[in-house]
Amino acid sequence: MGVHNSINRGKEITLTIDGKKCKSTFGKTILEVARENDIYIPTMCYLSKVKPIASCRMCVVNVEGVEGTILSCQEKATDGAVITTNNSELYTERQNIMKLYNVNHPLECGVCDQSGECDLQNKTMEFDVAEQPFTTKEPHRPIQNWGHVSYDAGLCIMCEKCVRVSTEITGDEALQLHFGGYSSTILNVKQEKNYASLGEAAAVCPVGALVDTHFKYRANAWELEKIPSSCPHCSVGCQMNYEVRHDKIYRMSNEAEFTSLCGAGRYGYDYANHNVSKDTKAFEDAVDAVKNAQSILFAPHISNEEALILQKIKEQTGAKLICGEARGYQKFMQAYASVTGKKLFGGTLKGISESKAVIVFGTRINDDAPVVKYHINMASKWHRARVAYMHPLEDAEMKNIVTQFIKYEPQSEEGVAALLVEMLLRNVDVSQNVKAFLDDLDIGNLSAESNVGEEELEALRKSMLKKEDFSLVIGADLYAHPRAEQIAKILALVEKYAGFNVVCVPPAGNAMGVSLICELDDKATGKTVGYNVEADVVLSALGNGDLDMPALNQQEGTITTVDKRVVPMHVAQPYGGYVLNDIANALGLYAEYTIDYTKTLPVEKGFKAVEFDALPDYFDSVGNEHRGYLLDVCHTEVEEMFEEVDEIDAFDGAVVYICNPKDQFSAFTNLCEPLKEEPFLLGSSQFATATKLSDADKVTFEIDGVTFKRVFKIDTSMKGTIALNPTYDMGLSAPLVSSYRFSKVKMMQDKKRGS
Amino acid sequence: MSGVVFSTWRDEFIDNRDKPHDEWVETGFRLPETYHGDRASKAFIGWDGVAIFDEDIDAVELANQYAAQYQEYSEACGRCAPGRWGGRILYDLLDKIARGEGSHDDITHLKEISQTMMATSKCEIGKTVPKPILDLMEHYKEQFDTCIDAQIPSKHYNGDTSYIAKVTAPCTDMCPAHVDIPAYIEGVRDMVFTESLQATRQTMPLAHTCGRVCPHPCEDACRRANLDEPISIMELKRIGADYETDHEVPWLHPHEPKPPRNDGKKVAIIGAGPAGLTAAYYLALEGIKVDIFEELPVNGGEVAVGVPEYRMPVDKYNKDIDFVLEMPTVSITNNHRVDAKRLKEIDAEYDATLLSFGTRLSKKVRAKNENPDMQGYWGAIAMLDKVNLWHKYGIGSPASNELKDKVVVCVGGGFTSMDVVRCAIREGAKKVIMLYRRDEKTIIRNTTYEEYHEAVEEGVEFIFHSAIEEIFDDGEKITKLKVNRYELVPDPEGGRAQLVKIEGADFEIECDYLIPAVSQALDTQILPEEWNIEMTSWNSILTNGKDYMTSRPGLFAAGDCEYGPMTIVNAVGQARRAASVISRYIYDGKCTLTDDEIMEDHLAKLKVYDKNEKITGWMPGIPRAVSQKLETAERKTNQKEVNLGFTGEEAISEAERCMRCYYISMVAV
Repeated sequence: MGVHNSINRGKEITLTIDGKKCKSTFGKTILEVARENDIYIPTMCYLSKVKPIASCRMCVVNVEGVEGTILSCQEKATDGAVITTNNSELYTERQNIMKLYNVNHPLECGVCDQSGECDLQNKTMEFDVAEQPFTTKEPHRPIQNWGHVSYDAGLCIMCEKCVRVSTEITGDEALQLHFGGYSSTILNVKQEKNYASLGEAAAVCPVGALVDTHFKYRANAWELEKIPSSCPHCSVGCQMNYEVRHDKIYRMSNEAEFTSLCGAGRYGYDYANHNVSKDTKAFEDAVDAVKNAQSILFAPHISNEEALILQKIKEQTGAKLICGEARGYQKFMQAYASVTGKKLFGGTLKGISESKAVIVFGTRINDDAPVVKYHINMASKWHRARVAYMHPLEDAEMKNIVTQFIKYEPQSEEGVAALLVEMLLRNVDVSQNVKAFLDDLDIGNLSAESNVGEEELEALRKSMLKKEDFSLVIGADLYAHPRAEQIAKILALVEKYAGFNVVCVPPAGNAMGVSLICELDDKATGKTVGYNVEADVVLSALGNGDLDMPALNQQEGTITTVDKRVVPMHVAQPYGGYVLNDIANALGLYAEYTIDYTKTLPVEKGFKAVEFDALPDYFDSVGNEHRGYLLDVCHTEVEEMFEEVDEIDAFDGAVVYICNPKDQFSAFTNLCEPLKEEPFLLGSSQFATATKLSDADKVTFEIDGVTFKRVFKIDTSMKGTIALNPTYDMGLSAPLVSSYRFSKVKMMQDKKRGS
Repeated sequence: MSGVVFSTWRDEFIDNRDKPHDEWVETGFRLPETYHGDRASKAFIGWDGVAIFDEDIDAVELANQYAAQYQEYSEACGRCAPGRWGGRILYDLLDKIARGEGSHDDITHLKEISQTMMATSKCEIGKTVPKPILDLMEHYKEQFDTCIDAQIPSKHYNGDTSYIAKVTAPCTDMCPAHVDIPAYIEGVRDMVFTESLQATRQTMPLAHTCGRVCPHPCEDACRRANLDEPISIMELKRIGADYETDHEVPWLHPHEPKPPRNDGKKVAIIGAGPAGLTAAYYLALEGIKVDIFEELPVNGGEVAVGVPEYRMPVDKYNKDIDFVLEMPTVSITNNHRVDAKRLKEIDAEYDATLLSFGTRLSKKVRAKNENPDMQGYWGAIAMLDKVNLWHKYGIGSPASNELKDKVVVCVGGGFTSMDVVRCAIREGAKKVIMLYRRDEKTIIRNTTYEEYHEAVEEGVEFIFHSAIEEIFDDGEKITKLKVNRYELVPDPEGGRAQLVKIEGADFEIECDYLIPAVSQALDTQILPEEWNIEMTSWNSILTNGKDYMTSRPGLFAAGDCEYGPMTIVNAVGQARRAASVISRYIYDGKCTLTDDEIMEDHLAKLKVYDKNEKITGWMPGIPRAVSQKLETAERKTNQKEVNLGFTGEEAISEAERCMRCYYISMVAV
């Protein structure tokens, strides 16, 4: 007693399970060690990605010298323990539990969506429960429709998995337990909209209690073919399976035992470019246009292979390659690398989830990359992490996770970065250049101009004292900032000198892959061809261009994820038209299939010369990810050159911030029926006052040459004079909006009726 | 006729059913044979067995009602399959038999379901509920058989017997504030920290404070200790409290506070320490108007001005204080000293008055030439006032003005003396010596291992088995002390060892300050003489320890002024009970207890924790988590909080060690 022990975590132990000697480390549960060693212990409530729930009691084992049965999911394996996972006594206990689970459980498997993949069904058979020996009076509990998901309390076995993912993973805490003994149920306390917990919950529900409303009664589980793939919507690139019958996607699933999907991944699957056939005339015109184009504009929602094809076309025709968001990220990361000496940031999502403190800077992360937010939430729940959220706009959806909101003025990010770094490196040995840069900072002035109080940073510093394992999550506000490269260099110091797990969340789709593969240009000139972008000639997977293209669920290829992993996508929907590779071939390049390019992705950028078909795509029994491969770390020359922090232009008054709502990322998600939502310019009542707008007023404004006609809506959860403006509904124009996310726009109010 | 007819309580098997009364075997347990006042109990049934006091007992109905109570409890739980469905079936089958519709197959099913519940339930309540039911089915078999064979209801089915149940746990029972410890630990385990805090606040408003400086008597009653080491109960309490402040969530109440009653009733509370704050909170939660009168300019009582910042940061304590004072019906008047005259006015004006002031007179060490006016003689309370008022509130001047580079001797052995010596170190004293009459083991038992250990690390010199015989001075200030040494001589008769002075072992200590911290006494001047308030033999205010009313109707007392100098958690427990009694007293003028409170007292008497019980079904050898502390060099010159608290991982891991030892007990009256 007395000595801080960190619970002896990591100490090597050896134990015997069913006669097999198993080596492991202290801190793991008996069940984890068993699974590492491929020893089966039945469970109903166990879910690998959350902490042990311990509600089902099925995983009981015997331990030599210990009386009674031991819960293997929760109890830690100890050195020298001798464990028996099965004998007649344990079998009987488990059988009895299955009898209890079957109390009153309706025998309606024939019409239950879970049938065929139901844990209750499987374990009832496994433990030979041939009848329902106990029954009792059933309380009346009607089926509830919660939006994406429906809940049938009569089928619910109260395993609590859904509540745990809501608490520990998605962090929206929409689902709660209603304790009520025999009439216990799950509550959805946030029914006003579809929270991410819903899809996550349905994915982990072992029975038919929580099922996808869109899928209900449409197909049997065993009729669906699972096509593994990766989600192309945001930069996280989550694992997912298309579930397909007769060329139609019925639903999405994922390896929910180990990994998660946000609402866009789970419900944004129906965006294929349907019923396309080969239009030879259009194709020839497109080939001509590409040949003669001085600039090729494209959206970052393409595969690595397509990016390589575009790069090769550029090399052949000399056309400029324009992809605004990826270009910003590319320049940012190049500047970042000039400080760290490594071409990519060093952090990982797992690193975030293991942090004791997380600083979020320059991103509305819950909307920009929901699964990154989940990892911040994991840190909050598992490690009581301090979460500092630095942004001009508070996010009500993050409130339960954030411990300190640090508000700054739009455009002052360079100064904020400098203030942050100065605080984090205060007692750290740094190079001469860095020291000179930090010493020259006029802290008082930066603090005044950015509106970040020195006492706020001091409070942040104090909250991190005596702690370790820190993360910095930075995002898209910074990549398109006029001072992006300087900001990148400053923040790189946090990785280099403060040892932070830094994750620079790519701004969109496959922006990271594109930024690594393509030599991008800043500004388009001359004749243009657009790939999913408005241009003189348009190639479009949205079905509204001069030549049709396949959507990402209609083609094979790889994308690069925020975890710096190159992961495969497979064909879920048929496509009968031309693809980018056909154009490339017509221009004299040659590859039979687009995926022939997979093995030629640039190794000098970290890619590996691996055939597409050789890419692994699975999680092992304890959840280690084997999807594609991790990019190699590539080194680059270090030069720590800083400029003086720029004077900040005051950015007061009404400001518009480019931000899509949660689950909407692009024109592709906008096509998906379950995600449909009306786009609004969303602002606080303070914004309304500042702009003299009323709720439901129509306004017109322009950003990056794109004209927005919006209905203004007051959101009472918002504060301040910054409004949210989405782009997901802007179709081919959306990728053109790629400058700094905050802008002062001139708002033209449409004439009101009768005035 | 009184006495135990039949009992299986805690493996004591008594069956007096067919014996003449003079041959009856008596029980060794303090079972609740009388419920309250002159109301006799018919039976007591609980986690450890069943005791029958009335020969006419309806055993079938007793079992049925116990299952029903469990069913009701599980209305608040339902967290595991065996408990949720098993409990329901247990009740369904027993009720079927009791109403005369049962079969012998039902008995078989009952035994089968009981077995599964006992083997696999998540918490002890599910594991223990079947035990007394099986006992009744075995030893009162004929009653069950009659119901089944004749298909008739049991003999008093739907009769007028009342069944009063209470859920407790060994830790909860031992906690003077009866905090629902398993619930707040479960909140940590579930990572729903708001629920953890709400569970604590059901009976303990000072969650920050008692998550930091409670001597945790609960941990002495933790069943986990029977297996390996007790749960670190106290430190887990801090997790929920810290969550509330870290995330700036609105105040979390155990339930929605009732709207202000505005009915003219009002309660006065004298003293804004732990007891006063607690009583104010629970009265306000009921919507009752409360006015607090506090002598000091700062709130919080002895925890504010006595307990140092490095143990109990004032910004955290202020959260607890604000939590109470921001209740809509609570108001406070500071710098308001209540003397006997003022107390009479208050007593006349208010419907009830609660005395909840502390013991702030430092007792003497009883040495020759002891003169409190002598320079260098500094009472512990006055010394700690000065230290804390300066560091926490910027009031006064730093005590280092007095103590820097000085030699300080403290006489004590309890928490206050530990605070004195460790503060003296922090104020820059050259040498700090603690004199204690007894040994190291006892000082640890009287405080905590951590407290003693940390004081040693910081450089406090402990001299055990010692006491001051004489104090020397130069006419102005103290110069040195003459100290006697003692040894512990075992009693050859096997009795308690005696402290015997060692002749010729006396020694002298030259010092600048002598700080007596042996104990504190009550300033009784506040009590009007003509009220003749009855006092205890140790000169604290006398109550019956159940309803906390003094010998004067309408005047209540809780906390140190009632008990003598004791712990925060003791003050909280007493004050919450007093608040409950007052909430009824102000309407009906009667001192009454609720059934829950009566049961609470019965269980405390019976003792819930059994240190000899063998624990099964849990993996032994999982070490107790120990939080990180500031290194000695980092802490001994300042007031930084020493205990950094659990990391999230440590907290969850420690919460997973908790065995959820809920028990349900019931009395048939």
